[in-house]
Amino acid sequence: MIGRLLNFILFVTFAGATITLADTNTGDEYAPVADLLKSCQVCHGDQGASTEQQYPILAGQEFYYLYVQLKDFKSGLRANPIMDPVVSALDKDQMQLIAKYFSEQVWPDTEYASDDQVTRSAITVITAGQCIACHLGKFDGDSRVPRLAGQHPEYLAKTMLDFKSKSRQNSPAKGSLLASFADQELINVAQYLSSL
Amino acid sequence: MGNKRINNLFLNLFVGWCIALFSISSVQSQEVGGGTLYGDMLTVTQDMLDRAASDSNNFLHTNGNYKQTRYYPARQINVGNVDRLQRAWTFETEVVESLETTPIIVNGVMYVTTSFNHVYALNAETGQEIWHYKHDMGPITTYCCGPNNRGVFPYGDKVYMGTLDAKLVALDAKTGRLAWATQIADPELGYSETMAPTAVDGKILIGTNGGEYGIRGFVKAYDADTGKELWTFHTTAENSVGVWATKDATGRDMLRDIRAEKAALKKLGDPYKTLGGGVWQNMAIDRETNTVYFVAGNPSPDLYGAIRPGDNLYTNSLVAVDLSTGKYKCHFQYIAHDVWDLDAVSPPILTTVVDDRGNEVKGVLHAGKTGYVYVHRAKDCSLIRFSEPMVVQENRWVLPTPEGERMLPGANGGVEWSPMAIDPNLGLAYAINLHQPMTYHVEATPYPGGKLWLGGAFKVIAEEQQWGNITAVDYNTGKIKWKVKTEQPMIGGILATGGGLVFTGEGNGWFRAFDSKTGELLWQYKANAGVNAPPASYNVGGNQYIVVGAGGNVQLDYKRGNEIIAFKLGR
Ligand code: HEC
Repeated sequence: MIGRLLNFILFVTFAGATITLADTNTGDEYAPVADLLKSCQVCHGDQGASTEQQYPILAGQEFYYLYVQLKDFKSGLRANPIMDPVVSALDKDQMQLIAKYFSEQVWPDTEYASDDQVTRSAITVITAGQCIACHLGKFDGDSRVPRLAGQHPEYLAKTMLDFKSKSRQNSPAKGSLLASFADQELINVAQYLSSL
Repeated sequence: MGNKRINNLFLNLFVGWCIALFSISSVQSQEVGGGTLYGDMLTVTQDMLDRAASDSNNFLHTNGNYKQTRYYPARQINVGNVDRLQRAWTFETEVVESLETTPIIVNGVMYVTTSFNHVYALNAETGQEIWHYKHDMGPITTYCCGPNNRGVFPYGDKVYMGTLDAKLVALDAKTGRLAWATQIADPELGYSETMAPTAVDGKILIGTNGGEYGIRGFVKAYDADTGKELWTFHTTAENSVGVWATKDATGRDMLRDIRAEKAALKKLGDPYKTLGGGVWQNMAIDRETNTVYFVAGNPSPDLYGAIRPGDNLYTNSLVAVDLSTGKYKCHFQYIAHDVWDLDAVSPPILTTVVDDRGNEVKGVLHAGKTGYVYVHRAKDCSLIRFSEPMVVQENRWVLPTPEGERMLPGANGGVEWSPMAIDPNLGLAYAINLHQPMTYHVEATPYPGGKLWLGGAFKVIAEEQQWGNITAVDYNTGKIKWKVKTEQPMIGGILATGGGLVFTGEGNGWFRAFDSKTGELLWQYKANAGVNAPPASYNVGGNQYIVVGAGGNVQLDYKRGNEIIAFKLGR
């Protein structure tokens, strides 16, 4: 993680030098955020199709969800030491453009699996929490509700535990609900969701 | 109960069947004649809409007619022959997700909608597609409980639909082309539309979803030709405090801490701006008195009441307003300062009822999420009676705690949004019920600016058994006449017909017909997905049809599908 952060800082430091290049390369609607997008991909992978567990997949995620997260990182509602410096200088237009870019990329194939016992435990939690009422049957998201299917389990577990401990506060109803489950149950749910 | 019982029943009913046959032929000739009896058949006139309750050819209103009786007068399909009911056709929509649409039938053309706001016009006799409209959904939608839509309303040469991104759209009924669209409210703040609008006297009436998002609820009227807003009635009054009621409509103490609430009121002021009170089912309209009756939903946040002191008027209420102006006429609040989300959703029904002095008066019926049928005087909204409870009541009203308190009914209610039907000849109201034990959890939560705002959580107790009922309630006495238990909690709706039948579907895919007098099972069909939409009926080419959507339900996670299925009598 530290290594990534360093790379990111180096990237940002030298970003000025690459601006002209990026502009001429893309020349599309994303030109104004081309460098920013590159900086994101240091951690979140090419086109946001992250291959490392601690960095959530952004490629193909819901536009409005992504935009709200960026806003919430910036306002501190979703405090995160890694993302905070990343978003601190972004304005609303940049956030929307970045969110749009990632939402238009293709969600990568992740090949996570969930065994019977984990699946059973997860489904009990999902039933009790009526998760499907918002996340829909395939957990593929819609607008402000994120796609969870196929997301990295390590990240999903961390973020659910963050909701539970209230270090992630940008969806209060989620905090109340997840607080009523045991850590291991949430870890099982993460594993199961990643396998969908 | 198997086929044998059904066969026996038919032996018994043989005589009745013969009689029915005779009456059918006369009904048929009357029904078929020149298509519909009223209007020029090209456009939906006000006259047709006003006469819908006796129209055995069309199905023009989501709930049958302006009184919302869901009583369809045709009796070609009846207790004596319903065993011969067969699938006539199936239409598969493009969207495999919850179907809550009531098919609307205008002179042999059927309009159905799906989740995510697709609209189809179909040939009602064959199920062939005539046109398909896909709403161009904006990037921001905020809804709870599924991307549902409950149908269009036909009026003039257009059909009208509310959308998930909180728009009202008018489509050309012949082509499906968009005539106009108007933004009703801001989806970023939690507003969305799932209900079918209601059209009357040149106005399109529509409410809003959003009781889980801290919206300010309303009913609005738009000009049917232009989409211009005509009036708004806000369901959260600027003075929402009320009378500090301590008991609910059934007389149970709600354990309010009035002193603490009064202190909070001083400190926080009136909470009306983010108080919820969604209206997301159709309104009943009394054409004689020019009055609109609707129910307003739960206060926001659902479970955390300390932040919204007072009775929270007019949440959880039956409300009547003037059709021309939107001005308040009367209201009745079922649960003041609700902290259980046991609100008022199922659409109200206007009918003649017997009051407590034995006089016949104009009444309003509503099935509460509490699991009671409430009977009101239309004149002043006052309560005449409430029925016996249709579902198990346990621990009501325990206050939610951080750890969670078990209570029945669960938060999806004893009756959900599902419309009731009545048989005015029998004086019975038919409701479909849920038994879903839940725990209610509270957590202090400030307004989160358009995000899901429950102020806690509802949890289904996964180990406990769940089930449903179909219940017939005598609304003139409040007594339960009959009750049929179902395997799963019920959601969708019900239709009563002049043939002495009620039709309703279940999450497991069964679509069933019961004798409306006795609750006897007379016919059933197994669909490929949950049948969780309100059925409709119509007549085309001399045949009466029953039609229903089988798309399952996302809220209760019943198997999703994409079928519209029409039935008619076989040989
Ligand atoms: C140094 C590594 C790093 C960089 C660079 C980075 N991120 Fe992140 N990002 C993370 C981590 C770690 C998380 C998970 C945070 C958490 O656990 O709450 C995250 C989370 C997110 C999320 C939330 C995703 C979700 O599913 O909730 C968004 C959106 C996001 N980042 C966007 C961006 C954008 C846009 C950029 C570039 C402008 C960027 N990130 C740059 C590490 C990084």
